[in-house]
Amino acid sequence: MKCLLAAVLLTAALTSATVAADLDKVVSRGELVWAADQEGGGPHVFPDPADPRQLTGFEVDLAALVAEELGVKARFQQGQWDRLPLLLGGTADCVINGIELTPDRQRDYHCSRPYFAYSLQLLARRDGPIDTLTKLASPGPGGRWRVGVLTGSAADSVMRSRTDLEIDVIGYDGTIDSLEQVSTGVLDAAVMDDCIFTFYADRFRRLRTVERPFEGGFYTILTARDTPQLSAAIDAAIGRLIADGRLKALYDRWDLAGRQQMLLLRDAAEIPVARRKSLGELCRDTLPLLLKAAGMTILLSCLAFPLAVGIGLAVAVGRMHGPAWLRPLLTGYVEVLRGTPLMLQLYAIFFLLPKIGLALPALVAAIVGLALNYSAYESEIYRAGLKAVPPGQFEASLALGLSKWQALRHVLVPQAVRIVMPPVTSDFIALFKDTSVCSAITIVELTKRYSVLALSTGRIVELAIVTALLYLCMSWPLALLSRWFERRLERPASGSIAEG
Amino acid sequence: MITMSSLTKSRAHVRVLEEVSLVGAEGTVTALVGPSGSGKSTLLRCLNGLETFDAGSITVAGHRLEPGPHSPGLLERLRRDVGMVFQQFNLFAHLSAVDNVALAPRVVLGMSVDESRVRGLDLLDRVGLRSFANARPATLSGGQQQRVAIARALAMRPRVMLFDEPTSALDPAMTAEVMDVIVELAQAGQTMVVVTHDHGFARRAATRVVELEAGRIARQGAAADVL
Repeated sequence: MKCLLAAVLLTAALTSATVAADLDKVVSRGELVWAADQEGGGPHVFPDPADPRQLTGFEVDLAALVAEELGVKARFQQGQWDRLPLLLGGTADCVINGIELTPDRQRDYHCSRPYFAYSLQLLARRDGPIDTLTKLASPGPGGRWRVGVLTGSAADSVMRSRTDLEIDVIGYDGTIDSLEQVSTGVLDAAVMDDCIFTFYADRFRRLRTVERPFEGGFYTILTARDTPQLSAAIDAAIGRLIADGRLKALYDRWDLAGRQQMLLLRDAAEIPVARRKSLGELCRDTLPLLLKAAGMTILLSCLAFPLAVGIGLAVAVGRMHGPAWLRPLLTGYVEVLRGTPLMLQLYAIFFLLPKIGLALPALVAAIVGLALNYSAYESEIYRAGLKAVPPGQFEASLALGLSKWQALRHVLVPQAVRIVMPPVTSDFIALFKDTSVCSAITIVELTKRYSVLALSTGRIVELAIVTALLYLCMSWPLALLSRWFERRLERPASGSIAEG
Repeated sequence: MITMSSLTKSRAHVRVLEEVSLVGAEGTVTALVGPSGSGKSTLLRCLNGLETFDAGSITVAGHRLEPGPHSPGLLERLRRDVGMVFQQFNLFAHLSAVDNVALAPRVVLGMSVDESRVRGLDLLDRVGLRSFANARPATLSGGQQQRVAIARALAMRPRVMLFDEPTSALDPAMTAEVMDVIVELAQAGQTMVVVTHDHGFARRAATRVVELEAGRIARQGAAADVL
């Protein structure tokens, strides 16, 4: 445990040691590295439909203009949207990607003067019951309304703060994932920046905008706090682009109402800077959330793993003793599930199944996805275990009049289970950590909760230590539990008969 | 009880058994002797369907086996009446001695747990191992393991017992303790077929001795005449 702590601290030290390149370094390098997420990133940053190797979008043009003002070229750096700010101070000089200007961000980064004004838009199905925002104030036919947002976006924090509404807010990693889910009926509504829906509206014809946009704010370019000259140069560049009409022309070219944007930017209000929380406050505010997320991690592992073991065992037995027609099918099952990423499988279950009418709740999709993926590995382990049981055991069972299935159930499988206990245990711990992949399908487990809290509080290192400790506190007892189980299996099955 | 007529079996174009016919009456002990590779173990394994054969037929404890693959149902019925003890004991490694004995009565005959354990303890008593009821096979000596294996086969109350070189893996002292158990069974009237290298045992307990050589019966008759 001490080692881990040291590793975390060392990483933190190294991170702060790699000072972000300030203006002189950017200039001497001749490149301004700007970070953004191209996934579902229209109209900001997205692959050009005419040539997907090229990126396009109004922020691509903006980055080029800003870089030109600095006398350098712009270079794009891909990143996961809600973690883009973490790229500052090493990988990227600035983040230009629809980052909303908020008090929290003012505290942790340097935020440039606003370059774009957005509003939040509520979206729902045309044939659905939601036609006003106030409809969400009373529960729907299925209880609380399910509203999708982009994790870490303004829509996320605004909707979560609306305690007047009867809604469950579900965070997605991709901008337009929530639109898909509203289309297929998994969600009741989605909230996002108006310009995003306007851009994708043709692709989601079953959706409509509900009322006018209801709350708004500004996009800002983030730079690290320790590159003041770069920050100042970017601010000045935006000022010149506004003053000489190049920014207005850019927005007009992208059909983003240039004149209206200029008026909104002119009247932009000052956003206050959030106060940095004390360690006590940090613990009080984040610990309950982290513990709850840890509970989700435990729930996922403890439900998914027994399923994986059960399916895996059945597949192994089927491959070795099942009818001939079944064996190639099961081999295919194992190879497909082992040969494709867990993330892709979760996506397929959660986002593609609803398209054929099978919409699973995220928790069910996560458990099924983890169980199926791990069942492929478990089946290989059990196959090895069954092969390791001496053939004489099977013959002896048959010679006693047991059927093949009785021999499997009472003699072969119980011995195989004991043989494979150590690898199965380590797989359990592996699955336990792999539950973090489920954040891709809106499950908020420990890693996801950490990532959200770290970004909103700016306490990346402190919370990383707490989170790592929580993981250890969970996996250590798991290891003990399985070792105890292993020892228990080593003993004879019956112990009730008196000796002598 | 056992009738085998013209049994023939090839394995990879080599005749393993050729036109073997023999009869084992109820209550008799048939000893199969002969050099290694003469086909005696294969013959024994044909008797409970662990091996198939190409021509001829077998009737054992009222069940008739024909050439080619046997149906699982027939084999399960036959094996309830025909017990087998292996050279390598093959005790179920994950079960205690008494559970090894009690498993088949419980699973195959549908006995309750208590009932099958009572039977298991009785049989362990009979082979002199009641005090080892809760021991794991791995903690027992070879001779003790083989005695548990005999008790396990007896638990199904088989009409015929097959022994496949039951003492070949044992040292002389342990051989004696296992042989005593088998001789006792023979004296109690258990029908059995024993594959053995131990001529002493054959003289002591066998009603009839059959000597195989290269898959054919070389000689058969009373122990005193053949050996």
